[in-house]
Amino acid sequence: MNWPDLSMGGYGFYVWGSYIFALILIVGEVFSLKQRKKTLRQQQNEHQQQMSSSVSPSVLTGSANETTS
Amino acid sequence: MNLYKYASPANFYPLAGKMIPWFAIPSAILFAAGLYVGFFIAPTDFQQGDAYRIIFIHVPSAWMGMFLYVLMAIYAGIGWAFNARLASMMASAIAITGAMFTLLSLVTGALWGKPTWGTYWAWDARMTSTLILLFLYIGFISLQSAIDDTRRADRAGAVLALVGVINVPIIYFSVQWWNTLHQGASIRILGKPTIAAPMLAAMLIVLAACWFYSVAVVLIRLRCIILEREQNASRFAEVNA
Repeated sequence: MNWPDLSMGGYGFYVWGSYIFALILIVGEVFSLKQRKKTLRQQQNEHQQQMSSSVSPSVLTGSANETTS
Repeated sequence: MNLYKYASPANFYPLAGKMIPWFAIPSAILFAAGLYVGFFIAPTDFQQGDAYRIIFIHVPSAWMGMFLYVLMAIYAGIGWAFNARLASMMASAIAITGAMFTLLSLVTGALWGKPTWGTYWAWDARMTSTLILLFLYIGFISLQSAIDDTRRADRAGAVLALVGVINVPIIYFSVQWWNTLHQGASIRILGKPTIAAPMLAAMLIVLAACWFYSVAVVLIRLRCIILEREQNASRFAEVNA
């Protein structure tokens, strides 16, 4: 194992720029999916509270009827 | 076991949830391993110096961009032809990740082009066709979000995705068909690769990492889409009850 030269022989901006951009995209995608899930959960909770009979969405119990439109 | 059972979104939802860690964890391990080989083991290139190390993210992201597009078109086509809702949802779930990899390949390509060719961008056949791929993804995503009726949105998206597939072989063969600034393929299906073994290994490990990553995020997004559509459908049912 040899430690890489962190300046990348003068190409540091290009090499690290590429990897940092990749990291930003990945973190951004994972974070936005987390947010999307969170929003969905909140909506679902509100929705369930609104309905007096606590019927959970069929998708969670896995008993939905497959309907095609 | 009835495999057709999982063609229903409601049945696939919990299965997808169980599958996610099996792809997310290997993806993280493979990313670390690939970058280790790429930065600690692969030697400095005698022509390009260390600038070539962009290849370990550039080539896998370009491949993923093309591969995910074809996959998205296949799912969209199945969803359209067989009226399979889950396949259409899968196509929508793939689109954003595919667009992301295509953007990554364009940006890393620009960052590699500057030190090696002296320019960030050229209207070269491969770069132009890859930019068109990004526009096809963006077109698919915006078309779907512009149409309220989800099944109509799925069908419209499928037409766009299938027509756009023609662009993928154009990207792939562009370096052979035209005299491009972009270099030719480093890896061929037939014949020896033109790069050193540790470089090739790092590239393939990162490619595997990207593939596992894509499966994990696409499944997470698919679960969100299933829930969103389910919610919309149940609201609609209540309003019309």
